[in-house]
Amino acid sequence: MINYLKSESYRLLRKKGPYLTSMISLLLIAAASALLYFFGQSDPNFPYATSKFFYSNVISGGVLIILVGSLYNLALTGQDMSLIKQSISFGISRSVIFWSKLLLTLSYFLLICVVGILFVIVLGENLLLSDDQSVRNLLIACVNMVPIVLSGFFLTHTLKMLKVGDIYLIFTLLFMYGFSGTLLRYLLRPIAGLDALYHYAPSTLLSDNLMDFVNDSVHFGSEYWITGTVISGIALLIGAKWFAKQNID
Amino acid sequence: MGTIIQTYQLTKKFKEQEVIKPLDFSVKKGEICALIGKNGAGKSTLFKILSGQIMPTAGEFQLFGKSGKEMDQAKKRMGFIIEAPVFFPDFTAIQNLEYFRLQRGVVEKKRIYEVLEIVGLENQKRKRFRDYSMGMKQRLGIALCLLSNPDCLVLDEPINGLDAEGIMEIRHLLKKLNQEKQITIFISSHILTELEQLATRYVFIKNGVIVDDLSKESLEAKSKKQILLSVSDPAKSSQILERTFADIQFKVLPNQVITIQNHVESSGEINRLLVDQGVVVKEFRIEALNLEEYFLGLVEEISHD
Repeated sequence: MINYLKSESYRLLRKKGPYLTSMISLLLIAAASALLYFFGQSDPNFPYATSKFFYSNVISGGVLIILVGSLYNLALTGQDMSLIKQSISFGISRSVIFWSKLLLTLSYFLLICVVGILFVIVLGENLLLSDDQSVRNLLIACVNMVPIVLSGFFLTHTLKMLKVGDIYLIFTLLFMYGFSGTLLRYLLRPIAGLDALYHYAPSTLLSDNLMDFVNDSVHFGSEYWITGTVISGIALLIGAKWFAKQNID
Repeated sequence: MGTIIQTYQLTKKFKEQEVIKPLDFSVKKGEICALIGKNGAGKSTLFKILSGQIMPTAGEFQLFGKSGKEMDQAKKRMGFIIEAPVFFPDFTAIQNLEYFRLQRGVVEKKRIYEVLEIVGLENQKRKRFRDYSMGMKQRLGIALCLLSNPDCLVLDEPINGLDAEGIMEIRHLLKKLNQEKQITIFISSHILTELEQLATRYVFIKNGVIVDDLSKESLEAKSKKQILLSVSDPAKSSQILERTFADIQFKVLPNQVITIQNHVESSGEINRLLVDQGVVVKEFRIEALNLEEYFLGLVEEISHD
């Protein structure tokens, strides 16, 4: 596994995509803060030149963060997958391939997430009007988002390893993390005992997290970890099992 | 002679279609074994099973006598090219081979330069893979196979897309690897004339079944097709032949040419007989089938059955 990790790391560090994605993401963060700062300076009554509003944009961008995460995963699970037939013919197991690609792309993504959050805090605290609670609340909200975002990353990995097309991948992610709560709410409303299940849907949790942040009532929640763990566990279990039996052409 | 590849009742079904029917087959150490068959005969499927790309439906196989989990180690002694070799298009030859060198745990980096020299790509090593010609891509595929000093090469259509010169170079390279480094080679190609010059054993596959399996010597012996005679008097010759061999099969062709399809082993006797009876034999030769004709004959024969 170490040798395979070394080779994939060699590949990942020489791909332009992840660098470009990181640059664009950080530039967009910088541009958003600069814009708020500019309007705040030019209009004293502009209400959004605050770090709280700036941070709320990060908290509301759960689906976007998952989609960006899928771009990092695609760096090793996109077109590069055509090379795995040569790795398999050399005796590298499908299991090693599955977990190595996940580990590397996840590490890269998490690193960029940490850098991004630090960058957001530095800009928010230095350019915008800040209060005592905003950084603390941002960090709590981010911790709540972690299991949900990770589950999206794992789901992306499984779908890509099982050769699911990009369009289906985007629709699945949008549905799971954008509309699953609404759908579950309407579908399960007549069924007693299941009618509250939508509270655990990832889209509902992301939305609740944002509302709690905006209302200064954000707190660590176990429900985020329950949902995230269930989705991650199912996705990885199915992915590893099916990929182990998959034909590679 | 040790066995490198051994299959036991190996079977592959895609939905209801049995692409490989229960197959017992082996490749021995030192052989250059050619797998010959039409499109869809099951060649690539067999290669893909051996490489691990697809799983057999039933049966099993061993590489270097190892099966199951131990086979992963045995595979490190093999080099595979299944259909077209695939590399990162934005990487140079050196970067691509470096990726696989790290993956395969090849310690010495200079091995990359050695294999590039062996396949004649030493001057193209800084060119990106996407800018390579088809032939160069195939050569890089062979370079990758050689990277970890394999004892056996499994090559599916390795000369696809090569020009005449490239084909000849690869043939010489494979012969050299077999003779000097005792690398066993299991190969398929649509260019049967090349396989004829390269292989020491020919295995014919049709609809997932091995229909013939013969050595180079057996092929030469079996492929003797007919005696071709150019004589002064075809009519008299025909009478002599019919009188002497009751079951003889021959054809009289224009320009005083006779072809005899059986009694090829009695060629010396036939020649003496005609000369003794006063027929002038201007030309006498035994025509042999080449591999292509043998293959086509075999396929047609089985189709009629």
